[in-house]
Amino acid sequence: MPTKPARTINLYALTWRLPIIFWQFIFFVGPVLFMVAMSFFLVKNYRMTEAFEFVNWSKMLSRGYFWDSYWYTVFIASVATVCAMCIAFPAAFALAFRASESTRRWAIFLLIIPFFTSYLVRTFSWFVILSESGVINGLLGTIGLGPYTMLNTNFGTLVGYMTLTLPLVVILQTVTMANIDKTLIEAARNLGCKPLATIWQVIIPLSKTGLIIAAIFCFILSFGDFVAPFYLGGSQEPTLPILILDTTKSGQQWPRAAVVAIMMMGTLFAIAFAGIALAYRKRKGAK
Amino acid sequence: MNANRTLNVILGIYVALIFAFVFAPIIFSMIFSFNSQRFPTIPLGSFTTEWYAKILADPDIWEAALNSLIVSCSTAVIATFLGFCTAYSDYRYNFRFKGPYLALILLPPTIPLIIMALAMLAWFSKIGMSGQIYSIIIAHSVLTAPFAMAVIRLRLNQMDPDLESAAWNLGGSEWATMRHVIIPFCKPAIFSGLFLTAAVSFDEFAVSWFVSGLNKTLPVIILEIVQGNIDPQVNAIGTFVFLISMTLVVLAQIFFASRQMKSIRP
Amino acid sequence: MSKPLVVFDKVQKHFGNFIAVKELDFEIREGEFLAIMGPSGCGKTTTLRMLAGLEAPSIGEIRLNGKVMNNVAPHERDTPLVWQSLALFPFLTARENVEFGLKMRGVDKAERKERALKWLEKMGILEFADRDISTLSGGQKQRVALARSLVMEPQILLLDEPLSALDAHLVIRMQAVLTDLQRELGITFVYVTHSQSEAFAMADRVVIMGEGRIAQIGSPKDIYREPANQFVAEFVGRNNILSGTVSSLTKSTAEITTPSGTFSVPMNEVALSEGQNASFVISADLVHISMDEPKGENTAHCKLISEEFVGSMVTLFLEDAQGHEFKVQMQERELSKFDLKGGDEIWLSWDTQSAHVLDEH
Repeated sequence: MPTKPARTINLYALTWRLPIIFWQFIFFVGPVLFMVAMSFFLVKNYRMTEAFEFVNWSKMLSRGYFWDSYWYTVFIASVATVCAMCIAFPAAFALAFRASESTRRWAIFLLIIPFFTSYLVRTFSWFVILSESGVINGLLGTIGLGPYTMLNTNFGTLVGYMTLTLPLVVILQTVTMANIDKTLIEAARNLGCKPLATIWQVIIPLSKTGLIIAAIFCFILSFGDFVAPFYLGGSQEPTLPILILDTTKSGQQWPRAAVVAIMMMGTLFAIAFAGIALAYRKRKGAK
Repeated sequence: MNANRTLNVILGIYVALIFAFVFAPIIFSMIFSFNSQRFPTIPLGSFTTEWYAKILADPDIWEAALNSLIVSCSTAVIATFLGFCTAYSDYRYNFRFKGPYLALILLPPTIPLIIMALAMLAWFSKIGMSGQIYSIIIAHSVLTAPFAMAVIRLRLNQMDPDLESAAWNLGGSEWATMRHVIIPFCKPAIFSGLFLTAAVSFDEFAVSWFVSGLNKTLPVIILEIVQGNIDPQVNAIGTFVFLISMTLVVLAQIFFASRQMKSIRP
Repeated sequence: MSKPLVVFDKVQKHFGNFIAVKELDFEIREGEFLAIMGPSGCGKTTTLRMLAGLEAPSIGEIRLNGKVMNNVAPHERDTPLVWQSLALFPFLTARENVEFGLKMRGVDKAERKERALKWLEKMGILEFADRDISTLSGGQKQRVALARSLVMEPQILLLDEPLSALDAHLVIRMQAVLTDLQRELGITFVYVTHSQSEAFAMADRVVIMGEGRIAQIGSPKDIYREPANQFVAEFVGRNNILSGTVSSLTKSTAEITTPSGTFSVPMNEVALSEGQNASFVISADLVHISMDEPKGENTAHCKLISEEFVGSMVTLFLEDAQGHEFKVQMQERELSKFDLKGGDEIWLSWDTQSAHVLDEH
């Protein structure tokens, strides 16, 4: 295949290559590395001094409340991921296999919109809808049920997480499944595979990579969100993002917030890498 | 066949329910913004424009709206420029460390905003750039550049690989080719990128809240009101914010889709 | 003979470990229609791209009008190319496409327009001048692409399989357009193609390339009747190739014994000696058929396997008792004199002068 002329680096090439390098080094790599460094700084009399001490790490990691918070966050984000994946699947299945091409495009078009609109306002709206005297309890009251407590519970937190993640998960699942070669499914049916078995034996294995990527995104978004657990979950049990928020905003303990942040990033990277490894793992016996 | 039709109906209802869930908060927020009750419930109270009158009379909200406008416009321009440069470099050149180079632009959105917010706050304080409008703009362009990069890169993928060489062959230098071929070809994607990054920036609250200092944007004002109390003003501001960001996203999608109408290759 | 316009002087092109062009050493003459032909991956497109400056030779020199071009940037050359993909600018109208090169050269607006319109008219597509490229048909786009290159008034025009996307009937029409243009303008055309019919129909000279080297250069007739080697003979296709050992020699002919029999061939520039291996070809259209055994030498007794019709021409595929395949090409009306069906046995024969000995190297 003919290729583009391989010329030595010139002014033209550098003009397009360098801006992002400079910008991201100063304003992305810089902040992240500084945050890592900051986790070793000391705070004395509400003032941060540069140092290299492990005191923030040992203090944070030896506290029970940190680990409670850590495992609670992992737990609730995992529950959110499972919920989102399960709730989205039938819808994605319908859009991928039962809907026409143009319906699918419109559905994706509509689902992109909330992803780029204010999550904060949507959460506040849920707050009003779910409250003791809110719309849902009002509706249930007319048929003599309730009121149910939905705010300040895990349920509230999960509603918030679903608001954040469901549109994205539906889009990713739909796109993945729509790309499956339809003849493979017909072949499976033709060979006597029952509809439900087709989903398990054919559709899910074929869309494995896309499904895992959707799950990873869902986990990252839920794990890092402070709005849903704060406003809808009432931060009964603070999640890690709330811990960062409290430590930074009220306690002036930036270095300890940095410790929490680094622990979060470490966890997310581990999960993302594990997920990607799983997604791209060759099946046993496959060539 | 009958069972199949029943299944289709059930699946149709299911999809409708998902959409209802996704759009319920947006729609209710709009309804509540015209509702007289302080704690809206069923049955609804009477129609009012009280909350809108309140926010329009509040100079803090006007200032925040202006700040939001400045931030999202500036962010859009910077992020789209950065996204374009990177998308073009990726399209045109192969070079060493290209993987890390692309990671540099693509990673920020995968890091939770609260972490970026903390890191940006600490860094801007360190280098003496915190608490300014431009601090928000800089932080937002880091976060949104990948969105612009993605749409422009997809557009470049649709370009006939010979088109650039054809322009050189007809006597255009690399710079002239950029101006007369690459940029005109990418124009819809560039507009799409501008609107999309503006929309993301317009709604972002976590990083803005941390680095903005006294220069609050609209989402930050919402965050502060929400922290205090249930105040239906939020619904009025929210409706406003929704309308603006939805317009931006829809415009972005229209530009994104418009290139599919025209034939892509000669 | 006209003087050389372009010289390829021991040119090689490497892409990493892959050698696309192993050695090119040839000239392109002023005003000729040169076709470069070969199977895909033979290096023909790379050769053209080097001429346009889109690839730099790894070794060797390319000279245009005596000037070394190796380090001249593509936009500083005057070697417009007509692309296989056409590479028309989709966001410009037909006229703006044609004006593009002039605009890059700094020609002022009024003159640009005038020259563009003149060429659009010449190509017979003036009425589409202000149409969007996407609304034009394949043939119209083709003409815009040609006009866009020719408006530059170059000394040399490069064409990279420009007709490969067109329907068969349009190809024939565009071939006529191209040959007429080339004759009228008197400029050099370098035409890369994998299609033998295109190359043989239009070119003054044909370069056959294989695996990054030149296999033969010559007029279409030379290449067809007297392929230099087995590669060319096989590539050209409509040939019967026979291999054997030289059994006897006279001044003007040699006898070659093959499993299918002993045949005599005329001596050419290929030196033969008794006992050596040799191959020769006979063009399929120079083989005669008959039902009875013909008199004279160079005959083969074959069974008809199948027939293939292309227009009024028919190609017979036959096999002798040893399983060697023969091809015979003739007019359909000529064939209809024989009443043949599959499995019939017939005799083939040809004149000694029709055979051509191949250079084994």
